[in-house]
Amino acid sequence: MSEHLDKIKESIISGKYKEIETLVQAAIEDKADLDQIINDGMVAAMDVVGQKFAESEIFIPEMLVSAVTMKKGLEIIKPLLKGDEIESKGTIIMCTVKGDIHDIGKNLVIMMLQGAGFDVIDLGVDMSTEDLTRKVEEIKPDILGLSALLTTTMPEIKNVIETLKDKGLRNSVKVMVGGAPLNAAFAEKVGADGYGQDAAEAVVLARRLVAAK
Amino acid sequence: MTDFNLRGPSPDWERIRKTVRHEEPDRVPLLEALVEYPVQSQFLGREVTSDDIKSQVEFYYKAGYDAVPITVSAMAFGKVDDASPISKVIREKMLKDETDKQDMTKWSLEYTSFIGDRQDFENFPWEELEKPELLSQLYEVKDYLPEGMKVIANSGKIFTLAWMLMGFNNFATKLIMDEQFVSDVFDKVAHIQLNLLDKIFDIPYVGAVWIVDDLSFGTGPMISPQAFRDHVFPWYKKIANKCHENDVLLFQHSDGDLSLLMEDIIDIGSDLLHPIDPTCMSMREVKKKYGDRLAFAGNVANELLRSGTMEEVEERVKELMKNMAPGGGYCLAAGNSVTEWGKFENYIAMLKATEKYGKYPIRL
Repeated sequence: MSEHLDKIKESIISGKYKEIETLVQAAIEDKADLDQIINDGMVAAMDVVGQKFAESEIFIPEMLVSAVTMKKGLEIIKPLLKGDEIESKGTIIMCTVKGDIHDIGKNLVIMMLQGAGFDVIDLGVDMSTEDLTRKVEEIKPDILGLSALLTTTMPEIKNVIETLKDKGLRNSVKVMVGGAPLNAAFAEKVGADGYGQDAAEAVVLARRLVAAK
Repeated sequence: MTDFNLRGPSPDWERIRKTVRHEEPDRVPLLEALVEYPVQSQFLGREVTSDDIKSQVEFYYKAGYDAVPITVSAMAFGKVDDASPISKVIREKMLKDETDKQDMTKWSLEYTSFIGDRQDFENFPWEELEKPELLSQLYEVKDYLPEGMKVIANSGKIFTLAWMLMGFNNFATKLIMDEQFVSDVFDKVAHIQLNLLDKIFDIPYVGAVWIVDDLSFGTGPMISPQAFRDHVFPWYKKIANKCHENDVLLFQHSDGDLSLLMEDIIDIGSDLLHPIDPTCMSMREVKKKYGDRLAFAGNVANELLRSGTMEEVEERVKELMKNMAPGGGYCLAAGNSVTEWGKFENYIAMLKATEKYGKYPIRL
């Protein structure tokens, strides 16, 4: 059985998107445990991918193709899971803050989070604090992911967090932040729950924040 | 109008040429690929627009530069805004039946993309991106150029234009899942840029070509170094060879951490690299490792220009002069472009400090 898992893991790590479906199908036919395929095969593979990315062994295209490969594999498994087994890793709202239209980073993070099994709601760019807090109230996500590329739009992150507090929503949602000019110290200063330097770190952070809820 | 008038302007393109040859001219040159128009306006005390070449020349002359940057490409340095020729092409050709053409999200490549698949590629109005009008400012500038000044042709946006037309995620995944398609987009964009550049080498007042093409994020290259070698750098090399055959310098700009690409950039044959992004690279280390093979410009952080004091800016310029300028090989410039969101007084402080500390021989 571990041979199936190894093959699935390896194909995700090396982004073999053409063969993943066959491999997952073969594992299913051999009665492999679905939960094990997901967690020990796929999620574990994406951890390796994140590590390779952090060490500049691979780059964004390779990382995204691994995420695409994992998603293709997951799509084979999902219909086989019973209702209560379809375990979302959590719901995440993502957007860039008011005044910031730069969404490359945000879009990469979304792709990686989806690959890792999160339900992601992309609210796009230049999101006003009012509209954003309304969405948080309505959707009740586990995590709100805020992105800013410019030093001039960074203060909006604080505005959003303060507004969440004012509306009594802050304790019900974790806030993770990212973007070129940000760092962990900034995240802490404005009262966010975490900072991710890149898309791979964002996935690790999101898992940690959901587990801590 | 600014009171900056420390010296009478004395533009001299030879100052830049000596600097990139690692010789010491009379002073450390100032160099920018773009000073945003609101900054130019504040400096001159009247509005300067993207099509007002006469005022732009006046600005760069009075501020102490030796060259005027002029865009020779469908895509300019800085934001993809209303003034970008690519935006005009998209609005007039791609969105000709669209009613709401004011909506930036429909036409700006910072919001949207147009080449999803091969059919989009075939249908794209490529011929619009190499129209002779794109060179009109380059010809117009001749009437205003003071003696000693040259023009820098900003061009060569091959990587950025290709991925922006495709959308980053689509580009990045297809780079692996449909590499031939991405390669064809690169070839198309690169040929257009090269065709435009070919027309500039007969113009005697063009001193340099400046490839303004971001290759890296703050954490490293946007695609693998090998993918750059396969799809982008050969085109840069062609540009470098053409420049050098015509006695024109080649400058290169990229944001982000270029550590993994430095040897490639040297191998391309660039004469100068800008701006050694101060948010993620150390100018001193770069100088130490590569300073004998490449000249540099930049590294006065835009964040410092935005939030620092005039004294801090002066101190930073002094530090750069002390560490970078001896022996030549360094031009003073901001950490990106000179943006309107920086403090104007800090920009002036940067110019004044260059005047104060940048005279050769450097004794700091």
